[in-house]
Amino acid sequence: MKQAVILAAGEGQRLRPFTVNRPKTMLSIAGKPILQYVVESLAQNGIRNIVIVVGYKREQVFDYMGNGEQFGVDIVYIIQEKQLGTAHALMQARDAIEDEFLVLPGDNLIEANTIARFVTMRPNAVLVKKVENVARYGVVTTEGDLVRDIVEKPREAKSDIVNTGIYAFSGEVFDFLDAELGIPDVINSMVARGYQISAEETDGTWLDVVYPWDILSLNGAILRRIPASLGGIIEAGASVKGLVSIGKDTVIRSNSYIVGPAVIGVNCDIGPNVYILPATSIGDNVVISPFSEVKNSVIGDDVNIGSGSIIQDSVIDDGCVIEGRFTACSGEAEVRIDDEYHLVKVGAMLGAGCSLGSGVVAQPGVIIGNHSRVKPLKLVSGRLPDKSSVF
Amino acid sequence: MCGIVGYIGDKQAQSILLNCLKRLEYRGYDSCGIAVAVGGIEVYKDAVRVEALRKASPKFKGTTGIGHTRWATHGAPSQVNAHPHLDCTGNIAVVHNGVISNYQELRDQLINEGHHFVSETDTEVIPHLIEKYYGGSLEEVVEAALGQVEGSYAIIVLVAGEPKLVVARKDSPLIIGLGDGENFIASDVPAILDYTDRVIYLEDGDIGVVTRDDVKIRRDGIEVAREEHKVLWSVEEAQKGGYKHFMLKEIHEQPKVIRNTLSEYIRVAEPVESLAVIRGRGIESMLMLAAGTSYHAALIGKYTVEELLRIPVRVEIASEFNYYTHTLTGTVAIAITQSGETADTLKAMRRLREAGCRVIAITNVVGSSASRIAHQTIYTRAGPEISVAATKSFVAQLMVLYWLALSYFRADARRLNTLLMELRQLPHKVQQVLDNEAEIIEYAKYLSKYDDVFFIGRGINLPVAMEGALKLKEISYIHAEGYAAGETKHGPFALLGSDTPVIAIVARDNTYEAMLTNIKEIKARGSPVIVLTGEGDEAIEELVDSVITVPPVDNLFSPVVNVVALQLLAYYTASERGCPIDFPRNLAKSVTVE
Repeated sequence: MKQAVILAAGEGQRLRPFTVNRPKTMLSIAGKPILQYVVESLAQNGIRNIVIVVGYKREQVFDYMGNGEQFGVDIVYIIQEKQLGTAHALMQARDAIEDEFLVLPGDNLIEANTIARFVTMRPNAVLVKKVENVARYGVVTTEGDLVRDIVEKPREAKSDIVNTGIYAFSGEVFDFLDAELGIPDVINSMVARGYQISAEETDGTWLDVVYPWDILSLNGAILRRIPASLGGIIEAGASVKGLVSIGKDTVIRSNSYIVGPAVIGVNCDIGPNVYILPATSIGDNVVISPFSEVKNSVIGDDVNIGSGSIIQDSVIDDGCVIEGRFTACSGEAEVRIDDEYHLVKVGAMLGAGCSLGSGVVAQPGVIIGNHSRVKPLKLVSGRLPDKSSVF
Repeated sequence: MCGIVGYIGDKQAQSILLNCLKRLEYRGYDSCGIAVAVGGIEVYKDAVRVEALRKASPKFKGTTGIGHTRWATHGAPSQVNAHPHLDCTGNIAVVHNGVISNYQELRDQLINEGHHFVSETDTEVIPHLIEKYYGGSLEEVVEAALGQVEGSYAIIVLVAGEPKLVVARKDSPLIIGLGDGENFIASDVPAILDYTDRVIYLEDGDIGVVTRDDVKIRRDGIEVAREEHKVLWSVEEAQKGGYKHFMLKEIHEQPKVIRNTLSEYIRVAEPVESLAVIRGRGIESMLMLAAGTSYHAALIGKYTVEELLRIPVRVEIASEFNYYTHTLTGTVAIAITQSGETADTLKAMRRLREAGCRVIAITNVVGSSASRIAHQTIYTRAGPEISVAATKSFVAQLMVLYWLALSYFRADARRLNTLLMELRQLPHKVQQVLDNEAEIIEYAKYLSKYDDVFFIGRGINLPVAMEGALKLKEISYIHAEGYAAGETKHGPFALLGSDTPVIAIVARDNTYEAMLTNIKEIKARGSPVIVLTGEGDEAIEELVDSVITVPPVDNLFSPVVNVVALQLLAYYTASERGCPIDFPRNLAKSVTVE
């Protein structure tokens, strides 16, 4: 295989507020957007000719990936103006396709080993994986090595293997794309017409993020594999233990205690006396003021956290300014996403650009929309829309 | 202003020359041409873009050649005026960037001596002068010919039968890109980045001989060594990467540019003294000099420095400054130029240096002429800016000016802390403006139907109004003017009516009440008013129907978010009108002529 198409046009509505200003593929896990993991996995397997189908908030993709040179690949962008399903997305890439190609979703985190064998497969093939919670995905039933059908989110699952959304196709698939919405339907259609579609199983990394708290589990899983590196300054009296990556020009001030796995971006100012516990990712240009604890959380870029804050199992998006004594403890919470209720153990989830006064307490499971303001000493809970004001 | 390229090596020169020229088109693009040594010299040139030339030209087989893309200063764009130009024998070809001020007398003299001219350009005198002195070492011949010439030039000379290219530079930029068994010559770095990232910058007065394997440079008869630089920009930075236009890409790069400047220069909690860049004595006054968009940055710098440091700042347009007779001495002069090659600004810098001033340059191009003239240079780390209209370089200049002022600001520790914290939030606030494009696009569609637009502002946002107007006129060709709101009643009011929309930039400072009054007066005259202001202003929302909101920031930094909104407004207005945007008519990126 020499070419791949990445479908990265999707919004990821259930991940709001984090997907209001970025597509799902650009969610940051352990300091890198999911799309970057996909691109790097391809590059490491020798595929450098990449077509990316973009749509929702595509400037975020352009700004980060550029023309791919930075990642050792050549990227061509195809724009899907209206998100009308994965088959329609693939259709848009038709003119850019040369011969045989892989199709990958832009919002599933994979690593090089996930597709190492799959890249040698001939079309038509689909990559499958054994998972526990099959009801969330497209369940694949097989006859020997071949696909029999794919059933999305079945009530009664007939097998324990699911569709990863990674396919190997040739030009003939384009004849089937018009009639269907999703590529799984295309597969079913082709099977019905007598085409042979191989099912190849992988046990490599394949992680999906559907709800805001999934960001934390993906972050934890990936962080265990990052290489340690030190780009900044560690003052006397500060301790750094375990697998920690610290970006250029970042200062870790005296008496701070960082326990890996952890990633800290560039130009940050941490401490003095800040305690960072696994597994935490901190973006660029972040200030964490003295006597704060950050545990198993994902902090975006340009965030300013005031003194004496406690942040556990939380996700804080770019640009939040949080005055001192902010408490976001982790706990069991019932969180509502659309019409579903989920029981999770989580801290607070803050959208971008929020402004919180001092002494704010966030109940476990609270989701605060982008650009919200919370006055000092308030207790916040439940779900706040974007641009909320809590007086 | 033009772009020149040269290649000498082991590969076929033609396609390399055309590729390099394509990258240089932003310097000038009304005509182009190439010359390749194939035994004799073959030339193909026309008043077309590089792509068109590539399709139409015959294939020349040769490994040495020169090329040119032109922006007319003398002589209308035409095939005969395009470079390269030849001598009478057709064996000497020259490409030139610059202006030869005494070309008329040289031309008359050469005609008297029997030479035959075909074009109206100043450049054509050069190959004939070389022909006149020809004999012996080509380098010495070129030197003799150039001895007759007054004005500015960056030239590459190709002579049939000579396995070398001779280059010379005076007041026009020229670089050499080093390869293996091949060398590249160009007006600037983006032209040759596809082929090499090792460059040598030539200096004024240099004459060089470039062969496949060697580069020798002489100045005043003595051989000199010029330092090799490794270019940190990648070709990616000089490509569109998904965006439809370079300009939109560069507008979207601004959060990153701000972050780069912050990480390079400003560190929170560092003792302020250690950030100071202007070494030496305390400053009592300042002069700032610039042209175009950089001039607007200088004006914002003036407000900033005067507010924080409480010293008087004088801001001058560089070209006008060069006509002032009063000579300044002993002051600090800050010259702002994105390209570092703006002729008017360079001339002013030289004058100021001679008058004993301490000259500091703020520029985006490492190794540029401005950096060579100044005592000290502060680089904006914006990366190459391909779009002719300046966007990210302007915001980068503002960041440097803020940093300069803050590094001397000692008066109020609390205000300093607030300002530093606000600075850290700036990348995110600019990103918010960008994420909010949809609102601005609606206003752009509305604006695109008009022929005359006014931008008004007061205080630190007056230069923002001027810059907003400049962007709009540059790329959408709508007549726009930036006006001091307090001045509008002294004349421009006569122009107001339902056909002249007014964009008012309203800040929450001591100019607020006055701006509100202005807006009421303008509305009373029937002009549509669009207000640009920070979020959450109910009084404004009751007053006008159209409001573009930006995230709230400290007033000092409001120009940054405001200007980004106005850049987007100009871009989408131009897009609606179907304008080319990246390469507007009649404009070139770096004005290297006066």
